[in-house]
Amino acid sequence: MTGLGRFAWRSLRARPLRTALSIVGIALGVAVLFAALATDAGIEAGVGRTVDAVMGQSDLRIGAFEERGLSQSSLAAIRATPGVTVAAPVLEQQTYLQRDPLTTSDATAGAYGSPVTVIGIDPAIDGTAAGIHDLQLAAGQGLTSGGAAEALVPASLAHDLGLGISDTLTILGSNGPEPYRIVGLLAGGGPDPTAAGRAVVVPLASTSALFGSRGASWVDVRLADAATVGGVIAELDQSLTFEPYVLSDRADLAASLQASTAGFQALTALIAAVTLFGGAFLIFNTLSMTLSERVREIGLLRAAGATRRQVHRLVLVQALILGVAGSILGLVLGFGLSILIVRTVGLLGDRGVPIDGPIVPPQGVAFAILVGILVTLAAALEPAIQAGRISPIEALRPAQAGRRSIAGQLRWLAAVVVTVGVAGLAFWPIALGPFGVPGSGTDAAGIGRPLLVYAVLLIVTLLTPLVLGPLGRLASLPFALFLPTEARLSRGSLSRDRKRTALTVGALTIGLAMIVALGGLAGSAHAATDAWLTDVIPGDLVATSIRPVGAAEGVSEQLAAVAGVARVSPIARFAVAFRGVRLDAAAVAGSDLGADGRLTFLAGDRRAALIALDAGGSTIVPQAVADEFGLQVGDTLELPVGGGEAVDERIVGVVARGMPGQSGEAILIGWSDATSHFGVLGADAFAIRFAPGQAVAAGPALAAVARGLALEPTPLSGIESAINDAFDRLFSLFDTLALLAVLIAGLGIVNTLTMNVYERVREIGILRAAGMTRRQVWRMVVVEAGTMGVVGAFLGCLAGVVLGFALGGVAGLGSSAGGPTIPWLRIGLAAAFGIGIAMLAAFQPARIASRISIVRAVQFE
Amino acid sequence: MAIQQPILEARDLTKRYALGETIVDALRGVSLTVQPGEFVALMGSSGSGKSTLLHLLGGLDRPTTGDVILGGETISDLDDDAATRLRRDRTGFVFQFFNLIPLLDAAENVGLPLTIAGQDPRRGEAAERVRDVFELVDLGGKQHHRPDQLSAGEQQRVAIARALVNRPAIVLADEPTGNLDFTTGGEILEALWRSCAQRGQTIVLVTHDAKAAAYADRVEVIQDGLIRDEIVLGRRADHTTTALIARLAQLGL
Ligand SMILES: Nc1ncnc2c1ncn2[C@@H]1O[C@H](COP(=O)(O)OP(=O)(O)O)[C@@H](O)[C@H]1O
Ligand SMILES: [Mg+2]
Repeated sequence: MTGLGRFAWRSLRARPLRTALSIVGIALGVAVLFAALATDAGIEAGVGRTVDAVMGQSDLRIGAFEERGLSQSSLAAIRATPGVTVAAPVLEQQTYLQRDPLTTSDATAGAYGSPVTVIGIDPAIDGTAAGIHDLQLAAGQGLTSGGAAEALVPASLAHDLGLGISDTLTILGSNGPEPYRIVGLLAGGGPDPTAAGRAVVVPLASTSALFGSRGASWVDVRLADAATVGGVIAELDQSLTFEPYVLSDRADLAASLQASTAGFQALTALIAAVTLFGGAFLIFNTLSMTLSERVREIGLLRAAGATRRQVHRLVLVQALILGVAGSILGLVLGFGLSILIVRTVGLLGDRGVPIDGPIVPPQGVAFAILVGILVTLAAALEPAIQAGRISPIEALRPAQAGRRSIAGQLRWLAAVVVTVGVAGLAFWPIALGPFGVPGSGTDAAGIGRPLLVYAVLLIVTLLTPLVLGPLGRLASLPFALFLPTEARLSRGSLSRDRKRTALTVGALTIGLAMIVALGGLAGSAHAATDAWLTDVIPGDLVATSIRPVGAAEGVSEQLAAVAGVARVSPIARFAVAFRGVRLDAAAVAGSDLGADGRLTFLAGDRRAALIALDAGGSTIVPQAVADEFGLQVGDTLELPVGGGEAVDERIVGVVARGMPGQSGEAILIGWSDATSHFGVLGADAFAIRFAPGQAVAAGPALAAVARGLALEPTPLSGIESAINDAFDRLFSLFDTLALLAVLIAGLGIVNTLTMNVYERVREIGILRAAGMTRRQVWRMVVVEAGTMGVVGAFLGCLAGVVLGFALGGVAGLGSSAGGPTIPWLRIGLAAAFGIGIAMLAAFQPARIASRISIVRAVQFE
Repeated sequence: MAIQQPILEARDLTKRYALGETIVDALRGVSLTVQPGEFVALMGSSGSGKSTLLHLLGGLDRPTTGDVILGGETISDLDDDAATRLRRDRTGFVFQFFNLIPLLDAAENVGLPLTIAGQDPRRGEAAERVRDVFELVDLGGKQHHRPDQLSAGEQQRVAIARALVNRPAIVLADEPTGNLDFTTGGEILEALWRSCAQRGQTIVLVTHDAKAAAYADRVEVIQDGLIRDEIVLGRRADHTTTALIARLAQLGL
């Protein structure tokens, strides 16, 4: 270290508390950044693992559109296609496990746990080395070919159930419970990561006993070395004409999984940027504080021959020390934080992508440290320039607080914002390193949103110094009620150094804005879910079946016969292919929707559309689908069905929301078309509406009847809360991160107030000499902090509401269709929290101020 | 001079500062009596203990031993709150540098003791008092100037006005002309003198300048923490320094 370097080090050590605060500030920023990176890497790895697990060794997946599945003729045709070496059929179906084999006849509540996914495979293919899916057996043996009722269970699930090898597992099938013998335990969570460890593997041949004779849900195909995916697709197009199908390869799957996690990643990136911004404030304050204390010293250095450049370097070396220390500490904190994130979030997005890790991407480590140091240096730029301007004469002059221009402050802010922004944009994808799945890319909307938020926050911060005067005066009014003297004396000190106050308040504003915006988002996500389900589902509860229930079975009628039930409406979810992509569809009864008053029509005549739906040849599409494909009423959808043919469905209405589909909103198709053209065998859910006031009375009877029919009744609110729970888990995580940002702002307030106090030692001495008590001095500083808190809370809540509106529905985190909500309770809590933190931050500075010795304060100049 | 109850009495004050190993005896047994309406100057070279004495007299600090009695009440053993209240209500201070709060205008600075006591110096009787002291220090038109818009002399006169505003029993001024030029210093002293002559304000002035000390009725000469001598000048309208300088010369100062 050079002589100047030692000087820099010493001046940091002279104020250990302040130095520590700044290091913690930058460390928290880097921590959130690094945690976001590590989590993102974990998500990417999770996507990669999911793709591997889902696709196995296959190059191509041929999926069935119809519930019947792919027929044997299709499988034979696939196997006969040139270039195909292995074709493994898989059947997947959700059902329930019976908890207690002794209560086989008991169909009442609690008999079944939460759903499991039954995966049927062909043991002759997937049990062997040539197989496509690696089952990773942990204990026991594989399935024997031949269709015996044998099951492989994830070791964790077996443990939870208290079952072991050779025990009996009772699976609920279409015709009642079926016993399976556990022959082997699977390592980890089983072959389907998105099933969250609740997947049971059985021989495909045994599934006809469970679910009736059904074909494969899909066939996974491995190609010969010489064959290309494109070539095989062309061949299949010729040979596969029995049923409609959809093709997907690894890249498709990765892209769709990735899309479902984009919103989460964008939001964590954003919060990281904001937190870092707060850290930059702290660094800036620390350096300018150190500087204003050392004006004379620097003047003396200059008089003794130090060049301006050397003075710049002095300040920058200080910044570097803070930046390096903070970044390293930040990495450690960040790793801990990412563990927390992974634990909290678990599965992500509507496709249930698991987060691996946390994973430490080496580039991410370099990136976090680099950004930490860059931000610190950017924050040090303005203080360094100011220090360079100190003239040798300054050493001779009595100390005097210099006023700095607003222009200088804008310049500084812009520098920090641009540095953080550019660094983020440029390096974020690089920092994720090899975990990024090739070809996926970060989509434009993912980056556009954070940029928008960033712009809003920047504008708010830039405006802060301008509104500080009038706002500060207003903010001190409540304090003036109780402590008029202290309020009057503290009022001026906010405008003492407008820049410093603006930055301090700005950090608080930003943190609170995040909290309020997140509250708004969570609120609108909830409201959207609730409003969505209420808008489209013609019932108070939904009874779901694990198998298609045909109209001829009379289930609908049996449910409707329960006293107090007004209407029972069958619903089936399926999929259609449109312009080469999979589209969710739902079979519904238009008359029921009409009678129940569901659906909000944006275009088309309601009555006519619902009648046309039941008559056939017509469809009603949700706004989202219409927008995506540029459709309007009167357009015709050409939908392929089996045998190389297609049916036309004319759009008779556009509605605000469609039925919830597997990965979006479903288009609505009448029952007659669904069964005659699209292979829908029956309803997989019944919406049940009670007569007014009968819900409580009729509920238990209906539940009993439903369970007797192997249906699982769930009230609408239950579905809503299941969806909302997932949101809540995400948002509680984001909230934690945003609270960290507010905490940093709190540290900034400690810093600023302490600096104000040190600059005012003389003034406080005079006030004390003129008769101000220690308690009054103490309260004066606290009121000062409270005023800052009120200003920050006001601006933060305002910015937060604006942001909440601007963000609308971040991808996968809710929808704008429900309209943004203003989270009043959240605003109240955030404001109280902000003001509370500010006043808490005043504690130590106020103590220092009240203990100032009058004699010393007035004795020396 | 008629025998009166003294307004201020210091009995055998000592003050010891311990700076680590080294011990400084700033005062080594000082006794002093000030009568109501008197103008007393404390003179002495730098480091002789003048400021220390003044701080003890005004309750800014506590003596190591000895008593200070203000208006019949012993103030040197008051706790911090009581001493603070005493300063607010019964004493007024003027220091050498930076007496004013830069963010407050002249009137607000003057009204500070009233504000601190919970009064609104812009209204009623309090406003009357503020206006009155502004006139006394001859700054009628400058009530709403901020400190940085006032000259150094004007700033000191604002400080004097503040010291006077709560009609204190005693005004304590520590080298108020210390860093001012000759003429400006004169304005300050005139203002102090007017308050003494016209209002009967008791004043203790610390100075090392004979010209300033010549305004006083009596000069106490301090050296090495002890009162070395007392020079009684009596109340005079002309403030000539010749007599004082002659006496000081006699003492070898
Ligand atoms: N707070 C203090 N700590 C230590 N020594 C002090 C302190 N204040 C004053 N002194 C010492 O006490 C002596 C008297 O100081 P002071 O009363 O300020 O003298 P004067 O005002 O006459 O110049 C000096 O030697 C000074 O160094
Ligand atoms: Mg002195």
